[in-house]
Amino acid sequence: MDGNTRNRIISEGAEAKVYSANIFGRECIVKVRYSKSYRNSILDIGLRKSRTKRESKIMAKAASLGIKIPRIIASGEFSIYMEAIHGSMMKDSKYGKSFMSALGSELSKLHSAGISHGDFTPANVIICGSSFYIIDFGLSEITQSLDSMAIDLLLMKRSNPKHFSSFKRGYSLWKGAGEVLERLKKIEERGRYKTRTLSTA
Amino acid sequence: MIVLGIESSAHTFGVGIVDKGKVLSNEKIMYPINTSGIIPAKAAEFHSGNAAKVIKNALSSAGISIDDVEGVAYTAGPGIGPCLQVGQLSAKAIAQELGIKIAQVNHCVAHIEIARILSGIDDPLVLYVSGGNSQILELANKPFPHYSVLGETFDIGIGNMLDSFARALGLNPAWGSSIERTAEKGSYIKMPYTVKGMDFSFTGLLTNCIKLIGKESKENICFSMQENAYAMLCEATERALFLTGKKELLISGGVAQSNRLKEMLKCISMDHGIKMGYVQNEFNADNGAMIAMVGERMIQNGKYSSISDCKIDQKYRTDKAEVCR
Repeated sequence: MDGNTRNRIISEGAEAKVYSANIFGRECIVKVRYSKSYRNSILDIGLRKSRTKRESKIMAKAASLGIKIPRIIASGEFSIYMEAIHGSMMKDSKYGKSFMSALGSELSKLHSAGISHGDFTPANVIICGSSFYIIDFGLSEITQSLDSMAIDLLLMKRSNPKHFSSFKRGYSLWKGAGEVLERLKKIEERGRYKTRTLSTA
Repeated sequence: MIVLGIESSAHTFGVGIVDKGKVLSNEKIMYPINTSGIIPAKAAEFHSGNAAKVIKNALSSAGISIDDVEGVAYTAGPGIGPCLQVGQLSAKAIAQELGIKIAQVNHCVAHIEIARILSGIDDPLVLYVSGGNSQILELANKPFPHYSVLGETFDIGIGNMLDSFARALGLNPAWGSSIERTAEKGSYIKMPYTVKGMDFSFTGLLTNCIKLIGKESKENICFSMQENAYAMLCEATERALFLTGKKELLISGGVAQSNRLKEMLKCISMDHGIKMGYVQNEFNADNGAMIAMVGERMIQNGKYSSISDCKIDQKYRTDKAEVCR
């Protein structure tokens, strides 16, 4: 690893493992997409490469727009090194209306840049002091799809229904908000998913 | 309790007999499918013409007479309306004649439960894969015990994709195994791959494969289609394993007959150090025994119906059915 070190494992998901690490003497975290033994090796390498590339591209774009996300330090074929964020997960924290409104407004910036997050739950927001960061762009996409954007809102709403009105206030700042909120209503009405227990973090 | 179960949701008319969770017999007859697929009216006509014979066979191979039957169960859905109706009518006639209890069984729950019970699994993450359905589920208790859907196909079931492509290629039924055999000599070509969280989609992959006919060898297309489709299911399944922390994985449904899919899921089970359960193919394909097995539990738990309330529901959702354990 270029003389750099990987230390403690922070989290492990279906796609990747996240470690605390050290690069050029600087504390950071690294997300690595490992090979899956179950799938064909050409498919495996292709998926891991394209997803890592997409994720780092989207993170770079979001960062360039000043959106609150961890900054990328370096990226490889299957790994992304980014700055370490110290704080507590939103899912384990107390917060109020002003925070939810600010989070809504941050998501609106992502959406107006044509980025959907793909897994926008309280497990993917870190609160540190008066600020916060949106993390894990592993399922994010560059897209104009109203469905993808509305699903970002839906996941946050399901996991946090009582604060959703504050969230919506912050989100409504961008001009596309009306259309996305309209689509959210439609998705919630779709028969197939009515009985469905959507996973919440 | 001796329960006779009737399955008729699609091309199979199956009758199984179960006593105290033990399968006494499992007989079936299949509507002959050709390139035009299942024609609902013809399949229903085929089923009604064969119903009495299959019931008789099931009784004789169980070594019992019709008077020994203490309860009856049928597939209420999901499935093809006219086909479901034949099973429903047969079950109602038996219940009426013998004056015994009747249970309405959800087809998908029956597939899951027979696999779960026979493989000795308790509380699994379930990958249910068949012609019309592809779902990832877990048992939930509220508001009533049911299999709650964590992820599923956005469009068609995986079996439907395999069948449609096999028909486009002109392969012989059973199409799933024809594709698996053709794939044996194939090598990998790039194909669409669509997973969103724990959901997945098969229509893009199907369209792409159909377009490749004539441009690529059928061996390569079959191989790559299988690799991508099964990898999609595996990725979504692994994500669900992380989310739920389940220690058991169960695979059931018609496509659970695929050796390649089972091989891939075994890799995941080994990586996670969890137990994987599945049943022999006889019980993965549509069959009457699974309906009898769930029916017995339902009747014993008081979840039977009056004959006049016996309905069919072509779109009976897995998560709408109460599970009796």
